[in-house]
Amino acid sequence: MRARTVELGLLVLATLVTAVGFVTVTTSQQSEVASDVTIDLQGEVGGFLAVVVLLLLGTHVVIRMVTPLADGLLFASAALLNGLGYVMISRLDEGLADSQSAWTFFGLGAFCVALFVLEDPRKLERYRYSLAMLGVGLLLLPLVPGLGAEINGARIWLRVGAFSIQPGEFAKIVLAAFLAGYLVDKRELLTLTGRRIGPLHVPAVRHFGPLVLAWGVALMVMTAQRDLGSSLLFFTLFLVMIYVATSRAAYVFLGMFMFSIGAVVAWRTFGHVQRRVDIWLDPFADAKGSGFQIAEAAFALADGGVTGTGLGQGTPKKIPYAATDMIFAAFGEELGLLGATAILVTFMFFVASGFRVATNARSPFEKLLAAGLTSLLGFQAFIIIGGILRVLPLTGVTLPFVSYGGSSLISNYIILAILVRISHNSVVQAAEEQEVNARDVFGLGVSQETKARWKAVGPRGGF
Amino acid sequence: MNRPLRHVIAVLLACFTILFVQLNRVQVYDAAALQENSANTRTIQRDFDRPRGIIATADGVVVAESVETPQGIFDRQRIYPQGELYSHTVGYTSFTFGADGVERTYNDALIGRTAAQELTELTEILEGRNPTGNVVLTLRHDLQSLARERLGQREGSVVALDPRSGAVYAMWSYPSYDPSGLATNEGTIANEAWTELVEAEGNPLRPRAYRDREFPGSTFKLVTAAAALESGVASMEQPVFEPTDAYVPPLTERALTNFGGGTCGGNLTELIVASCNTGFGRLAAELVGPGPMIDQAERFGFNQAAPIDLPNPVTSVFPTDYGSLVSNPSDLIPAGVYDNTPALAQAAIGQFDVQASPLQMALVAAAISNGGAVPTPHVVDRVEDSQTLGTVTDVSPGRWTNAMSDRNAQALATAMVETVERGTATSVAVPGVVVGAKTGTAQLGTDPPRSHAWIVVFAGRPDGPPEIAIAVLVEGQEGSADQTGGGTAGPIARSLLEQFFQ
Repeated sequence: MRARTVELGLLVLATLVTAVGFVTVTTSQQSEVASDVTIDLQGEVGGFLAVVVLLLLGTHVVIRMVTPLADGLLFASAALLNGLGYVMISRLDEGLADSQSAWTFFGLGAFCVALFVLEDPRKLERYRYSLAMLGVGLLLLPLVPGLGAEINGARIWLRVGAFSIQPGEFAKIVLAAFLAGYLVDKRELLTLTGRRIGPLHVPAVRHFGPLVLAWGVALMVMTAQRDLGSSLLFFTLFLVMIYVATSRAAYVFLGMFMFSIGAVVAWRTFGHVQRRVDIWLDPFADAKGSGFQIAEAAFALADGGVTGTGLGQGTPKKIPYAATDMIFAAFGEELGLLGATAILVTFMFFVASGFRVATNARSPFEKLLAAGLTSLLGFQAFIIIGGILRVLPLTGVTLPFVSYGGSSLISNYIILAILVRISHNSVVQAAEEQEVNARDVFGLGVSQETKARWKAVGPRGGF
Repeated sequence: MNRPLRHVIAVLLACFTILFVQLNRVQVYDAAALQENSANTRTIQRDFDRPRGIIATADGVVVAESVETPQGIFDRQRIYPQGELYSHTVGYTSFTFGADGVERTYNDALIGRTAAQELTELTEILEGRNPTGNVVLTLRHDLQSLARERLGQREGSVVALDPRSGAVYAMWSYPSYDPSGLATNEGTIANEAWTELVEAEGNPLRPRAYRDREFPGSTFKLVTAAAALESGVASMEQPVFEPTDAYVPPLTERALTNFGGGTCGGNLTELIVASCNTGFGRLAAELVGPGPMIDQAERFGFNQAAPIDLPNPVTSVFPTDYGSLVSNPSDLIPAGVYDNTPALAQAAIGQFDVQASPLQMALVAAAISNGGAVPTPHVVDRVEDSQTLGTVTDVSPGRWTNAMSDRNAQALATAMVETVERGTATSVAVPGVVVGAKTGTAQLGTDPPRSHAWIVVFAGRPDGPPEIAIAVLVEGQEGSADQTGGGTAGPIARSLLEQFFQ
């Protein structure tokens, strides 16, 4: 089946799931107030459906026109996650739901724009050092007096008029692009130079230095802003990308060793790090105080059981930050183990598709970028869900596409656009290469110059 | 670069597998323990959102019911149509202040969560029903209302119960409170209501009838008489005490006197009829002794909490420490003399450190009329299914303790009937009904003298079983004459008897 047909079918499914969820939530809220508002209800649901169909179909048409050969699962799974998230947000807080629908609109807009603008993502490779500076600059912005704002103890916000945006969300993309460019450039040096110490291959400091510097600055900035979740995520991204670029496990072990030291130092130095760990180990020791958030999430999940209380039937509003960081617990309560597992599976589909894009990418840069961006979203989901489930200490990051939040939603859609674009381009490039190779009928091997000339003439050009 | 990429994919897959395993642990394996966690308020909240059964009196008056609240944090709210009348029995259920009374002890039955109810729930859910339990009290609206009306604005309690089953017919204490304010979903209103009640004079939140204890005064002489009969040191006829106006126990110079300085004496029947302090003091101190007295009090239920189906019933107290033996039993003082024998003489007439709840004293009267068996008191008759109205649980707890032999109980009961016919309790006589009673006036040692007016009563039709036992306590009445008990508390008991045997 063609990728676009698959995508369309899955989008219809996602729309249906979202619509059923929205109707359930709306009726359960209406019946709490009065019963003679069915006409209102029909109007509201009808309007909602129209907007969803219009937005999703519109975006689908754009994909069909601009990147028709891209993977079909990526956008469909993102749309499902976004739709489910919207349903839960509207169940939790109608005011937030209104903003979230606006953010969704802007996110899809950003997606389309990015598809057009990033015609060839390989061009980003050239600007890798500018990207590094841009990334660090974005991270530093909230620390500038007058511009930045502290919300819930983390100084990662930028106030622009009535809006608060998190430049860090965009910095992640930019820094991933920098890392991809830098690593593609230096990966042979990183792999081949240096010497062996026992079983480990240690690269020369000269090539390794700038990388550690960029990573160190980013990590320090995030720690200074008390954004532990982003620090952890960025660190993971760094390890994944360097490992994919070099195939050297030594980097991973070295990184983990450094991380352990850093973690112990942070634990000893910062009260808030220590508190996080204590809460992680036993949230019920102070379930009404510091452990409240995790304890309430655990109680919500326990209430949900296997099948959940049903949408609109539970009490997920009791969980602090239910619409943002803790939204997975709200799903666990109202949709149960089954619904929560469905979300996990959707993320796995998304991640698998992302990695397939990376595997099929033709250029090393695109491969590394796709792998980095996919891991970014995959590990972000793991970090926040794992935090809620007490697999890891809880650190505040959003659940990609699901949580409420404008910066996060828009940046996630930009990541999606990059993946979709790489996916399409690699299919096109593969087809071109096939065509070029097919012309070498005698199997003599064709020089690069000839290939380039054939390519320039175009796939249909004759001898 | 595809080989390391596959490793990364494997790691992420492993991460998501860990999440899936942990999700199962939290939502399934640990779910029950998490729901039981003391910090988990979700269960309480759900209880508040769930439908809750009605509480009604034995004669069908609705005392507590749930109404849906369109606004507010919970779907439903409890209302109490009878206001203060039943609050000491029914209690309240409040998100902020927890629950009291029947609302607390029968919470599971009211929301349909007892084992018996849950057994049938599965099929009933399929039928689209949401079964809850209706609680039917043993209390009768006519007697309860009458108790409130007759006690009026005097601090005190009225308890009426069935001497055979322990079913409470009426239990009223003044002052009382309207539980509606506490049950409201509006947190600030509930807080204000609570503060007002806590600071109110007379502590209306406290159900005096079963959670408060006072000097029982002369009503306690029934226990002393039972101890004398059961230990075999006396019968209703023998010994006969010389009439006197003062009794000086061993080891003290302070004399025990009769109310109003009167002179009295005679056999046990006469001591009861006249409520003779000097006679009972001597009987307990010199003939019965500490051991049998303590034993008898505890067989009536003293020194243990009454097993009523309400939260935190008070323990009625009979002191157990009378020091060591000072002089051995002799022909003159068969009980022997202990360090605190003077205190025992005081305790025998319901003073010193003896304290009893009105409920306990009603049970003493009930046991004497009931062949010596103390019934288990209870305020709930049965739990019904809210939709089929079939009985889910039948509350019939049976006997609590056995206080005395049937023969001795009958003898003591006869003396109480004589007390109504010609003694201190003539004020409770009701034509055509056999009534036995014992009055009491517990002096509070205040100046001007104030005292608690008591009466304990049992009654039945001629040649029939006893049908009702009553204890009335009117607290802090002026004066100290023994007639206070008969004159103040007696008419209240009589009104209840007239209504009951109407």
